[in-house]
Amino acid sequence: MEYDEDKQRLTVKLVYYGPALSGKTTNLMRLHDFIVPERRGEIMTLETKNDRTLFFDLLPLGFTAPSGLLVKFKLFTVPGQVAHDGTRKAVLSRTDGVVFVADSQRSQGINNGASFENLAENAGRVGLDFERLPLVVQFNKRDVAEIYSEAELRERWSATPWPLTFASALVGTGVLETFRLLLQRAYPVLDSACALGARHGVSVETFVGVAGTDSLEQALSR
Amino acid sequence: MHEQPQNLYYDREHSLHELLKEFDRVRLEQVLQGLLGEGARLLDVDGTVLLGPAHTSGGAQRLSFRLDFEPIGYLEGARVEALPAAVACVEMLLGAAMRYLMASAVHMEAVQADFTELQEKNTALQASEARYKALAESLEIRVHEQVETIERAQRQLYQAEKLASVGQLAAGVAHEINNPLGFVKSNLNSANAYLTSLQRLGELARGQQGEWQGERLVAAWEDEQMDALLEDFPVLLNESIEGIERVAKIVAALKDFSSIDRAGESCIDLNALLDSTCRMAASEFGSRVQLVTDYGALPKLSCHPGRLAQVFMNLLLNAVQAIPGDGAVRIETRSDGTDIEVRIGDTGRGMSEAVLARVFDPFFTTHDVGAGTGLGLTVARDVVRAHGGRIAVDSQPGVGTTFTITIPVSSHG
Repeated sequence: MEYDEDKQRLTVKLVYYGPALSGKTTNLMRLHDFIVPERRGEIMTLETKNDRTLFFDLLPLGFTAPSGLLVKFKLFTVPGQVAHDGTRKAVLSRTDGVVFVADSQRSQGINNGASFENLAENAGRVGLDFERLPLVVQFNKRDVAEIYSEAELRERWSATPWPLTFASALVGTGVLETFRLLLQRAYPVLDSACALGARHGVSVETFVGVAGTDSLEQALSR
Repeated sequence: MHEQPQNLYYDREHSLHELLKEFDRVRLEQVLQGLLGEGARLLDVDGTVLLGPAHTSGGAQRLSFRLDFEPIGYLEGARVEALPAAVACVEMLLGAAMRYLMASAVHMEAVQADFTELQEKNTALQASEARYKALAESLEIRVHEQVETIERAQRQLYQAEKLASVGQLAAGVAHEINNPLGFVKSNLNSANAYLTSLQRLGELARGQQGEWQGERLVAAWEDEQMDALLEDFPVLLNESIEGIERVAKIVAALKDFSSIDRAGESCIDLNALLDSTCRMAASEFGSRVQLVTDYGALPKLSCHPGRLAQVFMNLLLNAVQAIPGDGAVRIETRSDGTDIEVRIGDTGRGMSEAVLARVFDPFFTTHDVGAGTGLGLTVARDVVRAHGGRIAVDSQPGVGTTFTITIPVSSHG
């Protein structure tokens, strides 16, 4: 979070974390499609040519609060490849919330687990309180075969404090829901830090409203 | 406005000013003028002129350009129809500049993150190295303590070994002294009896007179076997004197030997030391073992006579014990002026290879438990080494064993 009261700017950083090829970039692409152009920029992809060492995506979003405060969101994806931990840590640094994009396929269970452990470790290393970090776990690729059932996943994650969402980013389902849920969970911390509600007239609904209020069908129809 | 430390994170907000710095200002102005005409200008969102002339020219119009979704400045120019394309061009340039800045910054952060991790690992390694070092140091101290304990125990055992040989010597000496004491005592008893006979004869001589008395005296003379008595008496006395002299010799040897055992160095003739040691061990030889000495002329040696005497004593006692029946122990000394060589050989049973290999090991003994400390030869080797010398052993089963001690004349002192 970067808050400059004089310049009336708040920049919120959100990170899509997860194993390689679980659909983090697809999530960003769908959000880019669903959110009205006035509230979003273009996806910027940073990619070195021969390897994916520096690989990450950035989608800027934002809205202006009644107080005149510009609330800007920077959505990042991390490189999923195990080797690029340095970049992953750098991307994760200073984040205000995380969507963990897991791959629903049965073959990917171990990768999901390793990546989630890596998230917890790296959060500690870059100075984030993992227990308090706003986090949503999204199980993506609900549209493919050989996946864990929702019931199975809910059972497995029932003991954890994190909410689960189910998505099919390629189709578009669950992407907005996931993002809105993360915004909801990130709001209280930001509100207490910057008095979003009291000073800037930004309620949690307004805050979440950056993602629009359209239903999936309405969003898809645009 | 207060100055804040410059935020260099890759995910920071980039200002228009900062992004424009990535390009050559003059070139950029030329391009804008080429696109939008002479008075082309670039302004930030507050209207500050960043590129182009300070004042607006007549007929110029403005169009805003965006970074991300946010308008951050304006392009101004007379060629209104070219403004949208120029804005698109500037937005592309700014996007490229931001990409470049972010890429280099995130690369730095990633490298820094990896470096920090390496440093942490290094710190952890150093900590564990320090732990092992401390452990090694305390280990050294503990080993040192253990060594001291062992050395103390060894010194005690050396002392015990010395006492053991002294004990053996004492038994031999006691036997040697007891023997003459026995016959001297028996002789003195006989002398006492002879004296009674002489007294009786004397009374007879004093109390009687007359001629016939001579006959009685002669009868008494015969009766008391005075001829035999007078013959035996001097023999008996001489034998006793001889016995006493033997005891005196032993006592003298003892005195000799005990004076050797004073701590400290002195300059002595090893042959004399060997003689004195042999005298002490003489009782061990008995009649079955013959002692042969073959001394060469030796330079005086500065040494610890007591300790060397103990070495010789140990070797002599071993030699005698190695001889089951009759045999000989041979002592040879030689010197070439540089070294002194002492050989002590026996015609005993000899030693096998296995025994020979361990003969100097502490606590190794072929004697029964309790009969030897197993330190005799270890002590011998250590004492010889302390004199800068060496001890070698040569042995053949059934033929005998020879120890050779070589000590340099001028190694110390």
